[in-house]
Amino acid sequence: MSAASAAPFVTAFQARRPAEGDPRWLRQHRETALARFAERGYPTRRDEAWRFTDLQPLTAKPILPATDQARGAPILPADARLAGPSHRLVLVNGRYDTRLSAPGALPPGVWLGSTAAALEMRPNVARAALDDVASASDQAFAALGLAFFSDGFILALEPGIVLDTPVEIIHLGEAPTPRAFHLCNAVIAGEGSRASLIETFIGSGPCWSNVTTILDIGAGAVLRHAKVQDEAPEAVHLSRSFARLHRAARYEGVTLTTGARLSREDIRVTMAGEDARLSLNGAYLLRGQQEATIAPIVDHQAPGATTVERVTGVMTDRSHGIFLGTVMVRPGADRTDARQTNRNLLLDAGATATTKPELTILAEDVKCSHGATVGDLDAASLFYLLARGIDEPTARLMLIEAFAADGIDQADVGDALSAQLRRRLDLWLDRAERRE
Amino acid sequence: MAKLLEIRDLHVRIAGGREILRGVDLDVGAGEVHAIMGPNGAGKSTLSCILAGRPGYEVTRGSVLYQGRDLLALSPDERAREGIFLAFQYPVEIPGVNNTYFLRAALNAQRRHRGEKELDATQFLKEVKARLKLLDIGEDLLSRAVNVGFSGGEKKRNEIFQMVMLAPKLALLDETDSGLDIDALRIVSNGVNRLRDPSRGIVMITHYQRLLDYVAPDRVHVLSEGRIVASGDSRLAGELERRGYAHLGSAA
Ligand SMILES: Nc1ncnc2c1ncn2[C@@H]1O[C@H](COP(=O)(O)OP(=O)(O)OP(=O)(O)O)[C@@H](O)[C@H]1O
Ligand SMILES: [Mg+2]
Repeated sequence: MSAASAAPFVTAFQARRPAEGDPRWLRQHRETALARFAERGYPTRRDEAWRFTDLQPLTAKPILPATDQARGAPILPADARLAGPSHRLVLVNGRYDTRLSAPGALPPGVWLGSTAAALEMRPNVARAALDDVASASDQAFAALGLAFFSDGFILALEPGIVLDTPVEIIHLGEAPTPRAFHLCNAVIAGEGSRASLIETFIGSGPCWSNVTTILDIGAGAVLRHAKVQDEAPEAVHLSRSFARLHRAARYEGVTLTTGARLSREDIRVTMAGEDARLSLNGAYLLRGQQEATIAPIVDHQAPGATTVERVTGVMTDRSHGIFLGTVMVRPGADRTDARQTNRNLLLDAGATATTKPELTILAEDVKCSHGATVGDLDAASLFYLLARGIDEPTARLMLIEAFAADGIDQADVGDALSAQLRRRLDLWLDRAERRE
Repeated sequence: MAKLLEIRDLHVRIAGGREILRGVDLDVGAGEVHAIMGPNGAGKSTLSCILAGRPGYEVTRGSVLYQGRDLLALSPDERAREGIFLAFQYPVEIPGVNNTYFLRAALNAQRRHRGEKELDATQFLKEVKARLKLLDIGEDLLSRAVNVGFSGGEKKRNEIFQMVMLAPKLALLDETDSGLDIDALRIVSNGVNRLRDPSRGIVMITHYQRLLDYVAPDRVHVLSEGRIVASGDSRLAGELERRGYAHLGSAA
């Protein structure tokens, strides 16, 4: 990207600066990040990791950060929330919304709030997280996000704290004209702590959500983390998370992608401690012209750690699902056990799947496997259902549902989160059914 | 009144491949139980698949009437809703589709078709429980995905369980007795016998006399190289058991 096309961002940055009450270190981070973005620009198809991503919706015309609040009083749809109790934060157009949020009473040892609030109330926690974002900002969208982020959430658990009630973060984007919302989030799970977290992105209009999340999972801690991305069909959603798992830490991640015209989940996990356990499940269910990427890069640096990735894609119409999975086993990360599977269902002639599971093994005594499939519905299964009297559209939908659910049903994220994932999956199936 | 099933001079080939059925004639009347025997590869499963509407075959000659209507013009799901049931020789495993959910969808599709009220989950479960006991099937099989991880015998029992739940007009059992232990064979046979009534027809494809000891057939046919080469009453099965199929080859 040329400096000329970065110019609108630079202008926007200068225009917003006086309005912000950032601490000095943060102003520095933002400026450095902006400079880096201006110099680097968006990734292009020449960057290996972005080879399959069509950034045209972003590059056609710069989408600048939102400066205004959402007008009126946005409504939170019931099906975007957990059915049961939760600690709920709602961000509307990239800013914490007091009216819709219901953080509830948090047990001692837990801090949960917006990133803006953390900068005031927990400056050390916020700073540590944003320092991490800064060091990840060689990546263009992380840099742009740091330069412009308006808010986000931070969850910090002291060692040994068990938070039973799930934390739920809902991002609501509503923009009649193209607007960008940049968010920086962090979860700091102290040693032996446990929590479950669900993030939901919904909205209407041509929003661009650009999200960076830092996850630090302490020794023996367990974080269950579900993400539902069901943004508007004209939206763009780019997110990246940087997770660090310490000794015997456990991270159960699951993503369900059904929204946005263009979306990307870059998940970078460092297996820093011995015997850490990672499970990444996911499903992208696409239609129309949607393009979605799930790109986990797992870096095994310590021995005895386990990674299980299981991602399924269902593509109809002219949509394109992309899985770019990399597992890297560093020297010394002996006894690593890593499995990657990506299964894809193509339901129309114009739909495409790109699948690239990759392994680099530089250690001893490791068990690694990967597999990918791309195909149509199983003809024998379909006939079996028909032969019992179930009509063809229903039978097809049953099989699609089974396939789609496979990626998310395996996720061990607890009943409340599983039920919500299931509910969002059913919503997608209803939409698919209505069209048939 | 029209027969339940009338097959006339039926010729079938694998789509784009060779001819498997080469002129089959078979009538099944309401209330009748027929057995079809015959060597491996004779075309028995092909016949049952054609009746159930499996894609991949071409009918090149002949006709099939079901209750006086052209069966071949119906889609597989229409046939099932009209009362045809095929117990598969090799029931397929369908990961992710719950057995109970599947069966309720099937039963309700058929009830809707007949203009009956759909069963809600509670009513359905009541029906299920009564019949499970009958077939000595553990309830856990129902909470699992369709046939996934079922033993060979459990798959066959699950087919009969579905049959008993759906109460078809014409049941086609393709080697449902194969792979069953002695107790299971008796249980499955009881299931079939319960279905037996003056309004229904049953066609059992089998290799063994033993099933026919439990479910006495009205007619026994031998299908060989795509044709019915011999038909008789239940004594024919015993004769085949003793003499094999070879002597029929020349007779055909
Ligand atoms: N899809 C297919 N493609 C090619 N050949 C087929 C196909 N289906 C059946 N056949 C062939 O048709 C013939 C009849 O098969 P069919 O399964 O009907 O036999 P069968 O009488 O049921 O045998 P068995 O007693 O072993 O079950 C066999 O030679 C088989 O290999
Ligand atoms: Mg057969």
